[in-house]
Amino acid sequence: MTAMPGPAPTGDLILIVEDEPPMRRFLRAALTSHGFRVAEAGTLEAAERAATEAPPAAILLDLGLPDGDGVEFLRRVRGWSTAPVIVVSARDREDDKVIALDAGADDYLTKPFGTSELLARIRVALRHARGRTLGADDPVVTVGPIRIDHARHEVAMSGTAVHLTPIEFRLLALLARHAGKVLTHRQLLHEVWGPRATHHSHYLRVHMAALRRKLEVDPARPRWLTTEAGVGYRLRDE
Amino acid sequence: MADAARAPARWTSPARTPIAPSPAPSRLRAHAIAAGAVAVVTALGFVLEPSLSPSDVPLLYLLAILIGALGGRGAGLTASALSVAAFDFFFVPPRFTLAVTDLHAWITFGVMFAVGLAIGDLVVRLRRQETATHEVELRAQAEALRNALLSSVSHDLRTPLAAITGMATSLRDARVVPAEHADEVDTIIEEAQRLSRILTNLLAVTKVETGAAPRREWVPLEEIVGVALARLDDELAGREVTVDVAADVLAHVDPILVEQLLVNLLDNASKHTDAGTPLAIRAHREANRAVLEVADRGGGLPPGPSDRLFDRFERGPTLTAGTGLGLAVCRGVAVAHGGGIDALPRDGGGAILRAWFPDDGAPPSLADEAA
Repeated sequence: MTAMPGPAPTGDLILIVEDEPPMRRFLRAALTSHGFRVAEAGTLEAAERAATEAPPAAILLDLGLPDGDGVEFLRRVRGWSTAPVIVVSARDREDDKVIALDAGADDYLTKPFGTSELLARIRVALRHARGRTLGADDPVVTVGPIRIDHARHEVAMSGTAVHLTPIEFRLLALLARHAGKVLTHRQLLHEVWGPRATHHSHYLRVHMAALRRKLEVDPARPRWLTTEAGVGYRLRDE
Repeated sequence: MADAARAPARWTSPARTPIAPSPAPSRLRAHAIAAGAVAVVTALGFVLEPSLSPSDVPLLYLLAILIGALGGRGAGLTASALSVAAFDFFFVPPRFTLAVTDLHAWITFGVMFAVGLAIGDLVVRLRRQETATHEVELRAQAEALRNALLSSVSHDLRTPLAAITGMATSLRDARVVPAEHADEVDTIIEEAQRLSRILTNLLAVTKVETGAAPRREWVPLEEIVGVALARLDDELAGREVTVDVAADVLAHVDPILVEQLLVNLLDNASKHTDAGTPLAIRAHREANRAVLEVADRGGGLPPGPSDRLFDRFERGPTLTAGTGLGLAVCRGVAVAHGGGIDALPRDGGGAILRAWFPDDGAPPSLADEAA
């Protein structure tokens, strides 16, 4: 959890949608001191205006805004923008996060969070946004010590070949394609098992446990395949 | 039947105010109304008799019985008895005696009694139902109010806490604070996080105490252990925490609630034992239930019944910060799953806190993939 001080080279514009001034001040200070430009909006209406006036590279969206449903805003923005959206929400609001993620949000932050977490999420979101426009799908993907060869269906952990079942491979490959990003239970089940399996979250949990047995040094303290409680899973890449 | 019942229920509504069964005065009044109705019907019968056929008079009395029975079972019985007596005395030959010679009259009496009892019974049942509905409504209103209050408190407290935590981490990460004050910034962050945990526990307490059913899923306990350990990274730093949880130990639980339970057990153990002493997390399955334990090497259990540990605002003997809410949440979570929690002394010193979660249904099969 080390912060990366110093300005980011990009100077990307981040739109902060947050109604609480102190929270906005924190986000503004944290982002500008790391080289980002920021735009701010305290209401969804202002946010929509700001997003059309100057298209942001990413949007930080607090789900608890007083003037409406953040998810509705998300759906509207998704109609004309591919800018990644990171939703900000409280711990006991897992359902809201899942709804937002399934509606097109890219990631989330749980209050309270620190600067390093904030910057890590934004970095991942921006990287994915760029990857999406390039559309590059490398046959070999490396995430930390994990190397995934899509063409040969092979996985190696720190250079040692690991045997995975077909489902485990699909699961890992999907997480790796979105490395650093959270994927919801629903998204994973839909992609790996098909549209009819989206309630069978125990499949997913049991196969994730098996995957951890094969890829983690200590499966009870996962370093790479982390659980996002009540939401889904993430393959960490830093 | 419930619909047909609505009209008489409305009739009784003025007497409904107290939730408890009607007190004695209103019962006396019901009997008086019953007697009055019989008297009025008798007088009416006398006046109208020339223009009525003999079979009409019992119908008039049924009306009196109906009015009486609306006052309840007792008043219905009073109305029936008085109606039978008055009908017999004033209208059944030989008149102005209680003697009965006609078999027909006995049948009429019987029907009158039956109607009186049936209506009285119905009224009592309706009123009880109405009282129950009223109570459920009141309780639901109170719960909705409490939940709304708590979620707004939670939001109103969390937002400033998030700003405090965020800005303090900014200061720490920017390394602008002189080294001799670095501890103070760390303390701000830690304390804000502690407040945030207390809030989470307050919300968990209301969640389990409002009686909402846990959202059960089949979860490997190892996964829940992983999440709890990640959340307590700072608190458990410098301690050896051994985990003995096989990958195939599944529990049929609400993963968010059980994660909170485990966080609280670990947090409790770390508060009440010396820094650096080891902790152990163990889980196993027994017939139809999963068992999760946290064991420490601290000073053991306080004297007295170990149940009291899990009472709200009961604190351990050591002088450490806490709200006395953590273990109460643990018990609440276990009980909400139909399970329980207890505390045992550990061989070789220390304590074991153990929670169990009975399955609600059969474990799922994973027939979809063999290889």
